[in-house]
Amino acid sequence: MELTQNEKRLLAFLGERGEATPEETARALSGGEDAVIQHALLLQEKGLVDLQTTVVERYRLTPEGERYAAEGLPERQLLESFGERTELRLLTAHPLSSIAIGWMRKKGWIRIRNGIVEKTGMAPAGMDELALKDVAQGGEGARELARRGLATVDRETRYRISITEEGRKRLAEGLDLSEEVETLTRDLIVTGRWRDVKFRRFSVEKIPKRVFPGKSHPYQRLLEEMRQILLQMGFEEIYGDIVQTSFWNFDALFQPQDHPAREMQDTFYLDLYRPLPPGWEAVRETHETGGATSSTGWGGRWDPKRSEQCVLRTHTTTLTIQHLARHPQPPVKAFCIGRVYRREAIDPTHLPEFEQLEGVVMDRGVTFRHLLGILKEFYARMGFEDIRFRPGYFPYTEPSVEPEVWVEGLGWVELGGAGVFREEVTRPFGIMEPVLAWGLGVSRVAMIRLGLKDLRQLYRSDVDWVRESPIYMSMTKERGA
Amino acid sequence: MPVITLPLTYLERLVGTGRERILERIPMFGADIERIEGDEAAVEFFANRPDLYCTEGVARALRGFLGIETGMPRYRVGRSGIRFTIDPGLREIRPYLGSAIIREVSFDEDSIASLMGLQEALHWAVGRGRRKVAIGIHDLDRVIPPFRYIASEPERSFIPLDFSEEMTMDEMLRRHPKGIEYAHLVRPFPKYPLIVDSRDNVLSFPPIINGELTRVTTDTRNVLLDTTGTDRRAVMTAVNIICTAFVETGARIESVTIGDEEVPSLEPDRRSVSVKECSGLLGIELTPEEMADCLHAMRYDAFPEEDRITVQIPCYRADIMHDWDLFEDVAIGFGYDHMAPVLPPTCTTGRPHAVMELESSVREIMAGLGYHEMVPFTLTNERVLYRKMGRETNPDVLRLMHPISEEQTVVRTDLLPLLMEALTLNLHRQLPQRIFATGDVVKGDRTHQTVAGVSMHRDANFSEIFATVDALCRELGLPYRTIESSDNAFLGGRRGDLIIGGEERGVFGEIHPAVLNAFGLEQPTAGFELDLRAVPGFPGRRGTPSPGLW
Repeated sequence: MELTQNEKRLLAFLGERGEATPEETARALSGGEDAVIQHALLLQEKGLVDLQTTVVERYRLTPEGERYAAEGLPERQLLESFGERTELRLLTAHPLSSIAIGWMRKKGWIRIRNGIVEKTGMAPAGMDELALKDVAQGGEGARELARRGLATVDRETRYRISITEEGRKRLAEGLDLSEEVETLTRDLIVTGRWRDVKFRRFSVEKIPKRVFPGKSHPYQRLLEEMRQILLQMGFEEIYGDIVQTSFWNFDALFQPQDHPAREMQDTFYLDLYRPLPPGWEAVRETHETGGATSSTGWGGRWDPKRSEQCVLRTHTTTLTIQHLARHPQPPVKAFCIGRVYRREAIDPTHLPEFEQLEGVVMDRGVTFRHLLGILKEFYARMGFEDIRFRPGYFPYTEPSVEPEVWVEGLGWVELGGAGVFREEVTRPFGIMEPVLAWGLGVSRVAMIRLGLKDLRQLYRSDVDWVRESPIYMSMTKERGA
Repeated sequence: MPVITLPLTYLERLVGTGRERILERIPMFGADIERIEGDEAAVEFFANRPDLYCTEGVARALRGFLGIETGMPRYRVGRSGIRFTIDPGLREIRPYLGSAIIREVSFDEDSIASLMGLQEALHWAVGRGRRKVAIGIHDLDRVIPPFRYIASEPERSFIPLDFSEEMTMDEMLRRHPKGIEYAHLVRPFPKYPLIVDSRDNVLSFPPIINGELTRVTTDTRNVLLDTTGTDRRAVMTAVNIICTAFVETGARIESVTIGDEEVPSLEPDRRSVSVKECSGLLGIELTPEEMADCLHAMRYDAFPEEDRITVQIPCYRADIMHDWDLFEDVAIGFGYDHMAPVLPPTCTTGRPHAVMELESSVREIMAGLGYHEMVPFTLTNERVLYRKMGRETNPDVLRLMHPISEEQTVVRTDLLPLLMEALTLNLHRQLPQRIFATGDVVKGDRTHQTVAGVSMHRDANFSEIFATVDALCRELGLPYRTIESSDNAFLGGRRGDLIIGGEERGVFGEIHPAVLNAFGLEQPTAGFELDLRAVPGFPGRRGTPSPGLW
């Protein structure tokens, strides 16, 4: 059993004295009484000393009590102010009567009958009157005075520390009492005195106080990780505005104007209209007749007015197509991670805003199999080694594919969509080479990685969650472990 | 996308193979099995394949995919000699009509349910909520041809489906469940579409409700189909899909004369496609014969001629708009699981976007200063952004036209109020709390970035936040000047504006106690917000795409 320096000193002192008060001990060991009691408690826990506690009451007269100590209690004064009997009427004129008459009756000193006050002849000095003379002695009389507000009481805890048999045995085994130093000071270092002192030992078993480094949000860290993967794979990052025209958000992607996704129920429309970019006629042409491609188009009439209304972007593909339209020459490899908006009520699997990740490869001679190759590589880098491809359907890609990854405990999980941009999308902007594209609901990956069941938790502003989430969480480690 | 319930015993019979094989291959055909319960499988099919919205259509496709019956199904259409006329008054209301006679129908309760399911799915996928197309199916033997599709006065009355008494068409829009649901499609017009027979008996009030008179029952043997709508192609697609589904159950199709046209024809479409283009798109070397085999499995007829293939497309495939649509089916017929992934040879270097790099640097600085990041939503409301903050509404705030809740009516113009809200959520967490956020804010139609931070603890004050802002600006290389601020979110005499490049770009100080009260906070809090457009060179070397500009 390891004892601290202070505990050892206390035990040694008690070995000489047998028992002592904290005052004596503190004086002898030149320390504070509180510290002595603290150490004694610790030693008591180890069974080496016994700490006896007694509560002492100390009475003191109040100013009113002091006055009565000199003049006598009101009832005694009043009793002595008249003979054997008197009229109550006369007695009540006395200034002390309001206090004293009650007490005289209560103590049995007088009887009152028909307005006449008569002494009983029995009026011995009570405990209270004795206590009034020496209140410090305490006892029932002092308590009675305290109840009457004539005295106050201070309660004081007194300690008595004594050494136990166990303590004596420990002492007999010998104690090393050489000096222990808590803090390594500059002085100790420069003077070399550190050689002469013994440093207090610290417990390696005690749990340290928790401190937290400042850090990014766990979800943000995942987004950053994905961003780094794409940069490493040679992709250029795209960024852009949240507010987009329907033209760029829908029409440029060959979404028919009556497509359900364009309805007010699904998209956040804004009372904001912006002119169409030059060359918009090619988009109209493609919608109506297929334009320069082998497509039939959607038929019907395409209305430029509907295209001018702004929306909160419903996908990052709106940025991708603008990037490609500005860079129609191959090769282009670009990606974007950004927030997108859908008019959905909030529930465990839906939010009106969430992140989407999207990548494209446009180059001469790239093929659908190359798209599968990129998907396999990308998902593997994110820690999803097992991947399979299923046919899919997306309005602006053909052929389309739904990649699924194997997640332990969940099985095959659909993690996004991909495909080759339709010619109806690329040709109006003079993009002549195939565009391989894939998109990913990042939040789905984040939920799998962070072990969340409720999408809302991903965005929660919980300081403790940020504090407790470790910064290092390798994609592969998480799954492999 | 529609989830179709497939009765497995029925499907096995139609396909001609066991359910294990069917269920194993369905995902590779392009569908998602949602669940299997007892004898039923719920399967999600894609929005572009309405021909798969009934068991019969699925079976037809699977027989090809599984190699049981390949090539294009051919349909014979007899002539019924029945005429159907269209009132020219419908031109502005609902001009297109498709129809067919379906004979030797044998309904049972299940097949009626399946048919209703197909009808509903078509209303959704092809009909766009019945606007583009609405479908009516009638017991032909209850009425007498010829039929007329007319524009009728709204006061006309008949007995609608599921009712026992007559009511006017106007009443139906108010009282009948379907009337209430679809009233918006006809209300704008002075006259309503109506289908009547030679004796003026009402068959249907499209796109709202059929008449009770021609209700289809298990006794129905001959069916009249009507499809009406605003898009001719969609109207004919619906006819083709329904008729060919009936043929799968053993029924016969006869045409109806509409004007001078016999409808439907159920004739295939034709497309000549390049084998080389297909191989190039998919990245697999296919001979014309191999490509033709893939197409056969997807129920096309394919005739190779040197490097090209002439493809015959069954009339129910409304989704084939472009050659690549066929190439996708070649890929599905080939098998996605037989295509080896390969990395593209394209060589490019990765390049981060300057805005994102800036945000990353801001995160590094703030974390270094001991702050924890929050990722608040960008949708919020004016109460949080302005009223609780004691601030005037920003004139550039972007309001949603049709918000979904009172909590989310605008796009954030500032981040600081959202951090105040976050502090409220963390009221009982250990202090000190130092949190920050960085990201997009929107003013008008433009998006830009800011960073905001708050520090809440017993001793949070002006000096602390000034020091924090000073460190942030130094790390971002931003020379700044400060002047006293008049921002009411902060306590007077303890607030400053950051002037950078001659413009007010940020604010910091002790949060006003009235603001703390408004957010239900109990501890001193100091905060700041900095517009990242202040950073030299923002938004970096690349232009930001914005609406209308490119």
